[in-house]
Amino acid sequence: MLDQNVAREVLAEAVRTGGDFAEIFMENRVNHSLLMRSKHLETVDSGRNHGAGVRVFSGTNAIYVYTNDTSREGLLNCARQAAAAVRGGKGCIVVPFKPMNAARPEEIVLLPTEVKAAVKAEKLRAAEAAARAVSPEIVQVTVNYIDSVQDVLICNTEGTFVTDRRVWSRISCSAVASNGTEVQTGADNPGAMMGFELFDKRVDPEKVGKTAATQAVTMLHAPVCPAGVMPVVIDNGFGGVIFHEACGHSLEATSVAVGRSEFCGKLGQRVAQDCVTVYDDGTIVNEWGSLHVDDEGTPTTKLLLIENGILRNYMIDKLGSRRMNMPVTGSGRRQSYEYAPTSRMRNTFIAPGTDDEAEMIATMGDGLYAKKMGGGSVNPTTGEFNFAVNEGYLVRDGKIVHPVRGASLIGRGSEVLRKIDRVGKDLQCAQGMCGSISGSVPTDVGQPMIRVSDITVGGR
Amino acid sequence: MNMNVFMDKLLEAAKAAGIETAEIYYRSGENFGTRARDGEVDSYEVSSSAGLSLRGVVNGRMGCASTEAFDDEAVAQLIEGVKESAALVESETQDEIFAGEKEYPALEQTTSDIGEVSAEKKLALCLELEKLAREGDSRVTKADAMLSTWKTTLRLKNSHGLDLTDESSGCRVYASAIAVDGESTADGSDHFRGHNVADIDVKKIAEGAVQDAIGQLHGEPVKTGEYRVILDRHAMTALLRTFSGIFSAENAQQNMSLLAGKEGTVIASEIVTLMDDPLYPGGFGSRPFDAEGSASRTKAVIDKGVLTTLLHSRKTAKKQGVQPTGNANRMGYSGTVRVGPTNMFIQPGEKSLEELMAEMGEGLVITGFGGLHAGANPVSGDFSLLSNGYTVEGGKRGRAVERVTLAGNFYEVLKNVRAIGSDLEMPPAGVDSPSVDIGTLKVSGK
Repeated sequence: MLDQNVAREVLAEAVRTGGDFAEIFMENRVNHSLLMRSKHLETVDSGRNHGAGVRVFSGTNAIYVYTNDTSREGLLNCARQAAAAVRGGKGCIVVPFKPMNAARPEEIVLLPTEVKAAVKAEKLRAAEAAARAVSPEIVQVTVNYIDSVQDVLICNTEGTFVTDRRVWSRISCSAVASNGTEVQTGADNPGAMMGFELFDKRVDPEKVGKTAATQAVTMLHAPVCPAGVMPVVIDNGFGGVIFHEACGHSLEATSVAVGRSEFCGKLGQRVAQDCVTVYDDGTIVNEWGSLHVDDEGTPTTKLLLIENGILRNYMIDKLGSRRMNMPVTGSGRRQSYEYAPTSRMRNTFIAPGTDDEAEMIATMGDGLYAKKMGGGSVNPTTGEFNFAVNEGYLVRDGKIVHPVRGASLIGRGSEVLRKIDRVGKDLQCAQGMCGSISGSVPTDVGQPMIRVSDITVGGR
Repeated sequence: MNMNVFMDKLLEAAKAAGIETAEIYYRSGENFGTRARDGEVDSYEVSSSAGLSLRGVVNGRMGCASTEAFDDEAVAQLIEGVKESAALVESETQDEIFAGEKEYPALEQTTSDIGEVSAEKKLALCLELEKLAREGDSRVTKADAMLSTWKTTLRLKNSHGLDLTDESSGCRVYASAIAVDGESTADGSDHFRGHNVADIDVKKIAEGAVQDAIGQLHGEPVKTGEYRVILDRHAMTALLRTFSGIFSAENAQQNMSLLAGKEGTVIASEIVTLMDDPLYPGGFGSRPFDAEGSASRTKAVIDKGVLTTLLHSRKTAKKQGVQPTGNANRMGYSGTVRVGPTNMFIQPGEKSLEELMAEMGEGLVITGFGGLHAGANPVSGDFSLLSNGYTVEGGKRGRAVERVTLAGNFYEVLKNVRAIGSDLEMPPAGVDSPSVDIGTLKVSGK
């Protein structure tokens, strides 16, 4: 992808004015996407992303310059522009490269670039038909399919020279149910870090369509959720978004290193009850949020964030490492060469506990059972979060009575974390795209069923 | 490869490969962005990038493919991609590439200094802004400032001989401040957008961010109940942007908007006029032609409460038997054409926010939302959003409010508008609104 002599020349140019670290990230990525709407295969698209970025550090200052022009001259030009922005520093030498290929072709059975679009289209048709079959109230079904093969090269002045190949595949279905005057939506979006064998090994497109449509129809017939403060049981799978939003972002160096997290200075302290243990694990083979090496060339890790309620680690990238004076955790990620990397989550989940799922609901009194969560966001400074309950059920006296729509959960991360009083046994993960300053990256959220003793439920 | 050479080669190769008509959409940009934090340069980014997509019609079906590499391999990949795509896509109408208009509107030229100001000068401004915000009040503990500039070139070239170019540039500045007082922490922000670095008033932006943060200190939830609500311009802009997809004919035709077939009917309060104006002088969404080469034109989407038109591309207009509105959009250089607003804004009224508050008497002003991508359903119009702002007591600003949820339905909000403020930010950029009194809504707090 890039000649080692050229790489050395570019890195040397980048640190010429005093930079004490330089890095090149180069990528070539082939993407395919298909979109089916109103029973028509509307879009069949393919594209190639190609470019490189040069990053230079001087102490804790970072400079990033990127381009599509990956010729020697194009890269040297980036290095010169970056070097020109360095305002003094101690400089560094370019350590001889230790070349490494991190790719694991054995993990991928069927490269999506080797599969005809017509074969992919059949999976969309299957999901669409299954969704339509759920109810005549389904008025619209949209099915998206994406795959991506990303080849990267990451090299730096510390001797890293690593190549890797990442392969992702995902299908998403969203269904709209209507009774003529009102509409409700449902969705399901499974994916993995694998090729087209996704559909042989993990994902049944008919089930995806059915799940999305059933949720839309259920919500169409649901009354609005009452508002107030109440206990909430959150189911496994995408329910893990509660931790992702409420706490995960606040444990990234992106917030912690610059003093903008409510978890600053809390390592070794109790942040949750004993039942809560949380990992961010980038090493799970074929999982959506996994990586062999991160986008800074560091091998990924299984990182213990919270152990029996005690905060143990933050997620740290190279710049965060300098700012916090703590080691990197293989968490440096970016959407593409158009972004400088920063600390990001990979597969983040609450570990299985010992509590009984049925007991959790039976003893909760009056509250909400959040079966399917939607997306959310958080303000890392204050820890305030907000996320949608896509499929919720009202609980009265420990019994599930009926579905409710339009609920959202709001609160403050550190407070909600302390209020988790039950953690079930059956861990499941779900896939999402997580947005932050280094773009949108694939991440898993996950948890067993949990209970929060009280939380503000927004409804109508 | 030189871009002109690459484009010619690509169109020739498309013709040779049996692609009947072909179109190239090219976008290139030069960007600068820096961020200052706690007196330090936090990030500094410079980029030059380009990409293009090829669309081509084979047997009445449109295929597309794109690339960021411009070599012989890319030519082959694009041709193969377009052919595979065209062979599979299904459409109710015959797809076609627009040959072009006889003439295009001339945009009023805006002067810009973006190409002339040095990186050092921009960096210095950003650092100064952060310092002013951080030192703006004893309760401010931290501040951030960001400054970015961009220059973009668009080119649309097709096998009918059309070759259009549009260039634009601008700058955006943003400051945020974190204020701490006792147990209370709040963050506030302010921004500026323009065409000239020389127009950036760092003092004003810093002051705005500091006042916003301080104003939110000691925020508390209000009691759950029904409240009269004004959305200030930031909040109303965010809400309108979130639901702007309901005005897309594409969404309406796909049952993804409840405005399907509502043209000519009342969908909003009679004081609401919603413009889409791609010819607005200096507007950041201004352009002489849209992403398919249709001429831009100004229209009232809602005229005194009546929906006059949805936004159309050539394809949606053809399907509905109406004229295209010049609202074909693309993400970057993508080959996929969607429908979207250019400069969309609610026509401002006469009264200031203070006058709206005085008329309301008692209620809430909401200044910001959290989780708009999660708590708002763009199809049903339902929203339930984490909100902050302040109370209005006796027509005057009261105490800060946070951690409340505002719930409602956007279609109902449009109908319930009681008054529209005069504080629309101009020139327009994408989607904008002045402050709006939206009547009574349910608020969940404590």
